[in-house]
Amino acid sequence: MTIRANVLECRDLKKSFGDNEAVKGVGFRIAEGETYGLLGPNGAGKTTTISMVTGLLERDDGEVTVDGQPLTTASVDAKRAIGLVPQDLAIYPDLTAKENLTFFGRLYDMPSGDLKARVAEVLEIIGLTDRADDRTEEFSGGMKRRLNIGLGLLHKPRLLLLDEPTVGVDPQSRNAILESVELLSGEGMAVLYTTHYMEEAERLCDRVGIIDLGEIKAEGTRRELVQMVGQHDRIRLQATGPCEAGVEALAALAVVKEAGVRDGGIEMLVDDADQSLAQILGKVSGAGVTVTSVDVDEPNLESVFLHLTGRALRD
Amino acid sequence: MRQAWTIAAKDLRLRLRDRSALIVGIIAPLGLAAIFSSIFNPIEDFDFSATYAVLDEDGGPVAAQFSAVLDQFGTGTGSDIRTVETRQEAADLVDVEPFSDEEGADAAFVIPAGFSNAALSADPAEMEVITGQGGVGAGVAVSFAEQFAGELTYARIAVSSFEALGGAEDRLAAGQRALAIPAPVSLEEIEAANKQLSNKTFYAAGLAIFFLFFTVQIGVNSLLEERHAGTLSRLMAAPMRRYSIIAGKGIMAFVLGFVSMVVLIIATTLLFGAEWGDPLGVLLLVVAAIISALGIMALVAGFAKTPEQAGNYSSMVAVVLGFLGGTFFPVGQAGGLLSDLRFITPHAWFMQGLGDLAGGNVPDVLPAVGALLLFGLVTGALALGVLRKGLQP
Amino acid sequence: MKAFTIAGTNLRRWLRDRSNVFWAFIFPILLILVLGSAFGGSSDPRLGIHNEGDGPLAADLVVLLEEQPGMQVIQFESREDLVATVERGELEAGLLIPVDYDATLRQGAMTSVELVARSAEEAQAISSNVQSALTQQSVVLRAAFFVESEEVGSFAEGLETAETASMNVADVTVVVSSAGEPVGFFQLGRFDASAQQQMLLFVFLTSLTASAALIQTRRLGVARRMMSTPTPVRTILVGEGMGRFAVALLQGLFIMVGTLVFFNVNWGDPVGAAAILIVFSLVGSGAAMLMGSLFENDQQAAGLGVLLGMGLAALGGCMVPLIIFEFFAPTLFQVAHITPHAWGLEAFDVLVIENGTLVDTLPFLAILLGFAGVFYLLAIWRLRRVLTR
Ligand SMILES: Nc1ncnc2c1ncn2[C@@H]1O[C@H](COP(=O)(O)OP(=O)(O)OP(=O)(O)O)[C@@H](O)[C@H]1O
Ligand SMILES: [Mg+2]
Repeated sequence: MTIRANVLECRDLKKSFGDNEAVKGVGFRIAEGETYGLLGPNGAGKTTTISMVTGLLERDDGEVTVDGQPLTTASVDAKRAIGLVPQDLAIYPDLTAKENLTFFGRLYDMPSGDLKARVAEVLEIIGLTDRADDRTEEFSGGMKRRLNIGLGLLHKPRLLLLDEPTVGVDPQSRNAILESVELLSGEGMAVLYTTHYMEEAERLCDRVGIIDLGEIKAEGTRRELVQMVGQHDRIRLQATGPCEAGVEALAALAVVKEAGVRDGGIEMLVDDADQSLAQILGKVSGAGVTVTSVDVDEPNLESVFLHLTGRALRD
Repeated sequence: MRQAWTIAAKDLRLRLRDRSALIVGIIAPLGLAAIFSSIFNPIEDFDFSATYAVLDEDGGPVAAQFSAVLDQFGTGTGSDIRTVETRQEAADLVDVEPFSDEEGADAAFVIPAGFSNAALSADPAEMEVITGQGGVGAGVAVSFAEQFAGELTYARIAVSSFEALGGAEDRLAAGQRALAIPAPVSLEEIEAANKQLSNKTFYAAGLAIFFLFFTVQIGVNSLLEERHAGTLSRLMAAPMRRYSIIAGKGIMAFVLGFVSMVVLIIATTLLFGAEWGDPLGVLLLVVAAIISALGIMALVAGFAKTPEQAGNYSSMVAVVLGFLGGTFFPVGQAGGLLSDLRFITPHAWFMQGLGDLAGGNVPDVLPAVGALLLFGLVTGALALGVLRKGLQP
Repeated sequence: MKAFTIAGTNLRRWLRDRSNVFWAFIFPILLILVLGSAFGGSSDPRLGIHNEGDGPLAADLVVLLEEQPGMQVIQFESREDLVATVERGELEAGLLIPVDYDATLRQGAMTSVELVARSAEEAQAISSNVQSALTQQSVVLRAAFFVESEEVGSFAEGLETAETASMNVADVTVVVSSAGEPVGFFQLGRFDASAQQQMLLFVFLTSLTASAALIQTRRLGVARRMMSTPTPVRTILVGEGMGRFAVALLQGLFIMVGTLVFFNVNWGDPVGAAAILIVFSLVGSGAAMLMGSLFENDQQAAGLGVLLGMGLAALGGCMVPLIIFEFFAPTLFQVAHITPHAWGLEAFDVLVIENGTLVDTLPFLAILLGFAGVFYLLAIWRLRRVLTR
């Protein structure tokens, strides 16, 4: 494994709005090619954090370094490395999609030849090539959101910040967008992603930070997080034959934490279902049990979140 | 109807919270009224008085007569009459910059040598007026001199006729008797009722009605805003008639307009000395004006798709009607097409109604109230049609 | 460079909205035209006449009145109409000539005409004009009355001899001359002063509407998005301001050229006039940017825009000439100079009245540039705060 440089480093970010301490010392780092998910309920401080990271919001305390350069609200050059997809739409309703893209592209000093080609590319990615010359006020809600995302991808930033970008986008378009994010991340772009869609976070994010009440409660890969809170995979076997014998046989395996007969089958908790399933199946068939179906239930971030905060993610 | 009130109450609270209605309805007109009254009043308070120089090179009896008449005129109009000795002196006095503090005269009268003799004969006789850079004072001087010359001409003709028919007497004495004959046509000056608003009242009223349209528009526009924000669908899904929504908006716009007008009337009366006139007449006019503004603004909004568009169209209509209706400039004084054209605006009727009230009684405002109501009802009915059709989420 | 991109986009969006074209170009010219022809003309008092008489004497009187200098005469068909118009202040006075005007006079009796006015002071100039027309007309009649009263002949004989005498006796005349060169104010043409005042008023007013655009950019979230790009706040602001600066400039130029071509308005040295326009447009756009960064809501900004646009113009001498302030209200004259308008107008006075050139206007231009600089700096400071707090 090669050591990758950190594109974003932030430490100890703090921000209060009056008496409301929205962010109380958040810090994390994102390496190139890495996608970092920020997961938290409404009002947790995700947008506030992103705004500080992009130098849009004066922070009360803390430091941000993007691509090696310190970033403040007064920075100009450091912002070249950043692409932002804000949570709320930020597009001109009275300009066309193409005009919106071209305008912001110029603000990133893209040479006009490259810009033209890149605008066409982005329009393709967000599936708006047909509507490129229509004013965005005539767009559907999802089309506007797609353009909103496209604007952030335009200049192939080193660091892409997506604040709940796919709300209201149909599954097909969402897929196209996620693919392009994965592609760019494969090319070395670092991504900070906030979302409420668990599947998206699990699919995209290499690492996830769980934020609540302005603090990061836990951080790591999905597996690390799951283990951190002591959650296990659950395997259910529909089976015929001497199930009790099967349970006894399983006791010999270290990965199996708990096993028992339930509803004419065997149910067990294991550390890592993917890796131990073959072993487990071998053991039970050795005990004379015939398995008719296997059902693996991996704990997700939702349950991790529930465990950490005692609240559901979307309450 | 209960729902209409609920909607109106909600919207009023909203309008009070974002301060635009306050700014458009009260602060802007009041601020402008303060500025206008401070710049226009010093000028209105200014009275006519002039300084004239007189140079008598003649020294004869007719010149003496002129000086006497001029002195009388000076006392009558509060003008200064100064006697000078040379033409140069007269010219210098007249040749000063207007409005400068330098002492000078608006005009100088010169009675040239030999004028009296010439005047007493039948030969041509000339007197002179030297004016400076124009202005009212100089005009008055010229017409004064011409009047005097006209009297002299008459006296000469009268005395000549008298002599032709056999009368024989000293021409000066005969001329003086001729001048004592009253003119056959006398000028009877009659004072008309004053239905012109004073400057202070004019600007207060003009600004109030001008901004009223914008205030009412804020109310009307909330319907489009509601559609834009998507809350209109909510309202329409609620168990009530569509008219309740429109009525709610109408009530709110009316209240906004009414409150701002009342505040403006009281404030301009207390602060700037505006004289709006009999409260009952003013109330009738204000209510009718709000109804006309409601109708027109609703109709304009009916043609707009977005709140911004409605804002644009409405300000265009409100500004053009306002200027044409003579809220900033007394268009009626311009005469001609423009002063007739203004009556296609409610603004002109409102101003005229106030003027008629100032010089008359409450019933005198009824034509203006009628015209305003007509505007409101016609445009309002059209607007209802358009809005009802357009009342879709 | 980026400022130009932002300015270009701002302009493009501005042009997409048709109503803007109306405000910037059609409305001001319309207003200047209307006001110019309505009020820019003579300020001579107006006399309305309703002539009920049908004889030649009555008709002669009307002609004599029309020939009077310093007064406009408008004929009315009905007495009520005339009186109502006077009452409303749309005429200074109204004159009613009675039905039997001719008949009475021909019989050797006295008659009278009625002059209706709201106040004697206001009708003073008109009254003396009417008086002199009457004097002129009644010379022969009055001479006949004199002959009769002196008992040298009958009224009819008097009329006849007086008629002959009036042919032979020369008139006593008045020669009017004027001293010195006419200066300033009074020398300006019908539209001159008002065109300069209106131009400054509109250029400033139109610029102020740019504040609504800045507010919109902020509300759409686009301003923050721009902030997230490598673009400093000052560039964003200068760009947004520059778009509207261009509009103001174009509008001013349009008014200048239009009034020059159609009304032959004197704008003085063209280079100097252009410089004033450019600097003044800068001031306007600066004020707009400041407003746009101070307020949250376009309706508020629109209301205040009218207040400031009209109010500052009024204070600054765009409605009542500065020279009048100077004479009637010296404090007001000083107050006027807190507005950029007053300095702009003074700069135009230097060009138009004193026949100055660009160099002579430099002090005024420097002050105007100071206004623009302060506005822009405050706006940048404020916008940075509102966008990053
Ligand atoms: N401009 C602001 N003024 C005052 N308080 C604010 C402001 N922006 C955010 N807050 C407060 O800060 C806290 C965090 O808000 P933030 O927008 O960061 O949440 P979030 O995690 O993005 O939520 P969501 O998932 O709903 O987008 C909230 O309590 C919010 O009310
Ligand atoms: Mg958020």
